[in-house]
Amino acid sequence: MTSFPILFEQIVNGLVLGSMYALVASGLTLIWGTMKMLNFAHGELYMLGGFGLFFGVSYFHLAPWMAVPIVLLVIFILAALLEKGLISPMLGRPDWDVGAIVVTLGIGIFVQNFAFKFWGGDFQEVPYMISGTTSFLNITLAWHRIYILSLAVIVLVAFWQLMKRTRFGLALRATAQDIEAATLMGISYRRVYMATFGISASLAALAGTALAPIFSVNPWMGSGPLIKAFIVVILGGLGSFAGAILGGFIIGISESLSVLFLGSGWKDLICFALLIAVLMIRPSGLFGGKEW
Amino acid sequence: MLKINNLQVYYGDAHALWDINLQVRRGEICTLVGANGGGKTTLLKAVCGLLPIREGSVLFDDSDLLAFKAEERVSLGLSMCPEGRKIFPGMTVEENLAIGAYTKRAWKKRQSMMKQFYDLFPRLKERRKQPGGTLSGGERQMLAIARALMSEPKMLILDEPSLGLAPNTVESVMEAVQKINGNGVTILLVEQNVNVSLQISQRGYVIESGRIVMSDRSEMLLSNPHIKQAYLGL
Repeated sequence: MTSFPILFEQIVNGLVLGSMYALVASGLTLIWGTMKMLNFAHGELYMLGGFGLFFGVSYFHLAPWMAVPIVLLVIFILAALLEKGLISPMLGRPDWDVGAIVVTLGIGIFVQNFAFKFWGGDFQEVPYMISGTTSFLNITLAWHRIYILSLAVIVLVAFWQLMKRTRFGLALRATAQDIEAATLMGISYRRVYMATFGISASLAALAGTALAPIFSVNPWMGSGPLIKAFIVVILGGLGSFAGAILGGFIIGISESLSVLFLGSGWKDLICFALLIAVLMIRPSGLFGGKEW
Repeated sequence: MLKINNLQVYYGDAHALWDINLQVRRGEICTLVGANGGGKTTLLKAVCGLLPIREGSVLFDDSDLLAFKAEERVSLGLSMCPEGRKIFPGMTVEENLAIGAYTKRAWKKRQSMMKQFYDLFPRLKERRKQPGGTLSGGERQMLAIARALMSEPKMLILDEPSLGLAPNTVESVMEAVQKINGNGVTILLVEQNVNVSLQISQRGYVIESGRIVMSDRSEMLLSNPHIKQAYLGL
């Protein structure tokens, strides 16, 4: 029989992991919802977040809390430029959905190999944002995990408010729902796309900086989260923000519970079984097809 | 206020509009009528920049519209209420109106503008927290008109506002159009409903198969035998 503290810890671990899946998946679903394309370079943007934090801390000797915002800003700009330079030219062409997928695959492969060539294949250590643990009622929690969970909640709530309340958020949603009508309102969809790509990349990079101290930094660190994020967005419904968050937590918790009850070899199997079960009942995912 | 000279428009390689000459004068309601597939919506899309123009010129308030991108034309004071309303379905009535005031100048005034349109269309106020996708056809048309006016345009282009509406709803939409015109907004009304649109407008153009075939004062068009026969079924 599993004791309560262990169960509780695993649930918290699931929430922590789930919150990061939710961040990565929100970025993916944001791009699908707005631009109707898939971004296969998303995992590499996550990886760049991890490396960014590593360089910020190890080479520029910044405190982690200072390095993270700088990394996010740099990645926002980088991603916006990638969109402008490589993806935007594909827009409006008859084969653009396939074209854009191939372009993002290419970006992903390039970035991964760039990192391998110039930064090496070693697993790099990154310090915790807040080290140490706290315990109450026989339950021990690492501060870093509490940081991750609260960070995810704050960022997702802020992102939601951005979408609901600001001029930019309304413009983004309008573009996602009807690009021609949005143009008639005076919205430049090309600028919205650039910013969308930048925000999406920053969400992935933020998850990369948060998880880097736990999983260490290397050029291939993005492929796992990318696959998980795809599972999450398909489970939650492509393009749905609420689906990405709920799906993230579902996958995170089911992973950590299957590790506890069945052993770690089962967790991916459980994830996919869950995905298949949901798709059999709701082919478009939990919140698929809803506008935001 | 709007001057279209010798406009040619193509869909790919297909010539869609020939030698269009059309003028809308400041302060008037001008109407463009014609049957389905005659080129009305094509012409409006070209004016708003949603379709490329190969030849001819479009002047708005003496500035060359073709020098501006589609999204920049709104801030010049030209606003279009598109065919089929194109309400943002997942955004509430309030959000739909707010995004209508997207231009920098209008954004600051959006609250007072919104209040003004809630007075004009009380139904919208009742439904302000409802998603646009749940509104009836008439409510959507009101919302689309109000949204187009949120940018404080000098000129409003209305594409088929009566489409799919019940006769008494058409009447109240047309009353609203006249009221808006009374507040100083120049209007280009594009309609299949020839009778209604010629009644509230001062001048009209008739477009058939991509060409302007007739233009005159509205009451002259209403009594024209060709119009009577082809459009009014008299």
